Amino acid sequence: METYALYLSAAMAIAIPALATGWAQSRIGPAAAATLAEKPELSVTVVLLIAIPETVAILGFVVSVLILMQGGG
Amino acid sequence: MSRVRMLGPIEQLQPVLRSVQDLGLVHLVETQETGALKILGLTPEQARHVRGVRKIAEDVHAAIDLLGTAPQGAGTTLDLTLPRAALIAGRTRRQLEALDAKRRDLEEESALILKFQPFFSTFRRISESGLDLDGIRVFYLVLRDGSEQEVRRVRLALRESLGDVFELLSQASESGEAAMILAVPKEHGTQAERLLSEAGVQSLTLPDQFEGESVGATVQRMQTRLTALPDDLTAVEAERERIARERGADLMRIRAYVEDHLATVEAMEKAAVTPRAFVLEGWIPRAAQSQLERQLDKSFGGVVEVEALSSEDWLGESAPVVLNNPRIFRPFEAITRMMPLPKYGTVDPTPFVAVFFPMFFGITLGDIGYGVILATISLVLRLRSAPNSKMRSISEIGIACSLFTIIFGFLYGELFGDLGHRIGLHPIIFNREEAVFPFLGLALALGVVHVVLGLFVGAVKMFRRNKRHALGRGMAGLMVVLIAFALMAATGMLPDRFFTPLVITTLVALPVLVIAEGALAPVELVSTLGNVLSYARIMAVGTASVMMAVVANRMTNAFGGVVVGVICALLFHLVNFVLGVFSPTIHMLRLHYVEFFGKFFSPGGSQYQPFRHWSPRENAVEERSA
Repeated sequence: METYALYLSAAMAIAIPALATGWAQSRIGPAAAATLAEKPELSVTVVLLIAIPETVAILGFVVSVLILMQGGG
Repeated sequence: MSRVRMLGPIEQLQPVLRSVQDLGLVHLVETQETGALKILGLTPEQARHVRGVRKIAEDVHAAIDLLGTAPQGAGTTLDLTLPRAALIAGRTRRQLEALDAKRRDLEEESALILKFQPFFSTFRRISESGLDLDGIRVFYLVLRDGSEQEVRRVRLALRESLGDVFELLSQASESGEAAMILAVPKEHGTQAERLLSEAGVQSLTLPDQFEGESVGATVQRMQTRLTALPDDLTAVEAERERIARERGADLMRIRAYVEDHLATVEAMEKAAVTPRAFVLEGWIPRAAQSQLERQLDKSFGGVVEVEALSSEDWLGESAPVVLNNPRIFRPFEAITRMMPLPKYGTVDPTPFVAVFFPMFFGITLGDIGYGVILATISLVLRLRSAPNSKMRSISEIGIACSLFTIIFGFLYGELFGDLGHRIGLHPIIFNREEAVFPFLGLALALGVVHVVLGLFVGAVKMFRRNKRHALGRGMAGLMVVLIAFALMAATGMLPDRFFTPLVITTLVALPVLVIAEGALAPVELVSTLGNVLSYARIMAVGTASVMMAVVANRMTNAFGGVVVGVICALLFHLVNFVLGVFSPTIHMLRLHYVEFFGKFFSPGGSQYQPFRHWSPRENAVEERSA
């Protein structure tokens, strides 16, 4: 039972932030495309805006690995 | 930069401008009007002349663009009169536009014929089956889904609406669609048209040039035109090449001359004059100021005076900025230029980017095999790119990144993932497949170093302007270090006895931070610690990359046959390589722009654009950096 809980929590630690990141990027992406069509000079800002939500997924990944390692998985 | 003012007799204004243009170092700005000093405007006659020159510039640019590859030509002297230049530029532009329109028409005709030909070949076969087309309206139809059920559905719909007064013949075309000919009495034409439109059946309209001919004759003519079109296109291309050969050099000279002329007019408009004297103001690199003085003294024998304005006189004005770094750092200016230029007098982050960007990239990708591939691609790009071009900068950044990738590949013992371990390469620092914690520790340690460096750079630059904020910035950096050490002591990486002193020092430093930076400073500190955590992406992206390489290597045994396995592994490595280059680039850019630049970078500088002779290369560089 503990092993299941360990793997489930590790999976959730990455899955939920990844879904959140995906949702955020799905909103930023179309706005970014529209922005670039009008102002191509804002490409750096757009790349940054798209990359910012990825922090959540990356931290989720780190937490997931920590759960697995601490639990001896 | 130095702010300089040039003064002289008004009749010397034009020669002085020519001399300044020859030197090509002064970024001219509009001179302030004061008292008798008025901005020199253009007379109506001069304005008319400038409009004419602008029209020539427009024509000549359009003509050169239409020629495609720019012909060779140099110099800004023109052995033609301006009316003659206007005639050549205007006429060449019109001829080239006509040729371009003809080329587009021919290409469009070719595309149309290629699109229609298969359908009309099918229509011809249908019409040869005995349909009498006299006195009736004929629709040429294409059904995307050419299955029999769809054809039957259309037939039933027509029967319901028109009864039995139509003839529908169909045949599958080579592309899997159904080509159909619908024949209806003319009085039912409109009704059939509406029905087809409602049913979403596409009706083909013959291209204009084939209107009014029978299906058989149309197919025949299409074939004839397809054979003749390549020759027509070759003739158009030959004519364009003839124009390039005969007038290319003239066009280049005209372009350089008119651009130079317009730049002089713009410079003249920035001068302020009294009835007898002129004043010009501008910025010049401090080291070049004596060169300007010598040049004007030599040319005008002391009648033109150059004076440097003291910084108090221009304090608050924004001096133009030029990024000037040692050769080894210069390619990385491309990364800095992707952000707005830094304000004059603030820090140019390029040297820091040149050190940290390729290093972080190498730590993330860290594989000898991928590094060698990246180095090869970068070297090829460098050989094929023009000096000072953006591609040259990218290729040189690629070379630096690949070197760090190879170095860290050795340190991790990785060659295309774990293939290195299999052939005897051993990790020197740690094995990334297993050592997740050490890798995370390395990433966060780099984060501490990078963020604290950014805070200290900001503190040093702020010290002269605002000592209290500089102290606060420095204190924030110090507290990040203290907190990092305290965490290390708490987790056993440092001896336990350090923990209490470190925590006490941090608590003592906190009020100092609040006094220096205000009540929101602790929130800012937490945000800075979040910035450090963001460097965990180095470990996350790096681990993902190595695990994908390991999976690729395991594919060799996973598909039964070795050949299939090796092909799959190579393809997977290719995908991993592309991701492994793209992903770290984006993430490292973000770490620099958000986490690092955010601590000290002050955007808002204007580009240094000296008044100089026009040249295609300089113009291209300016357009790219704008």
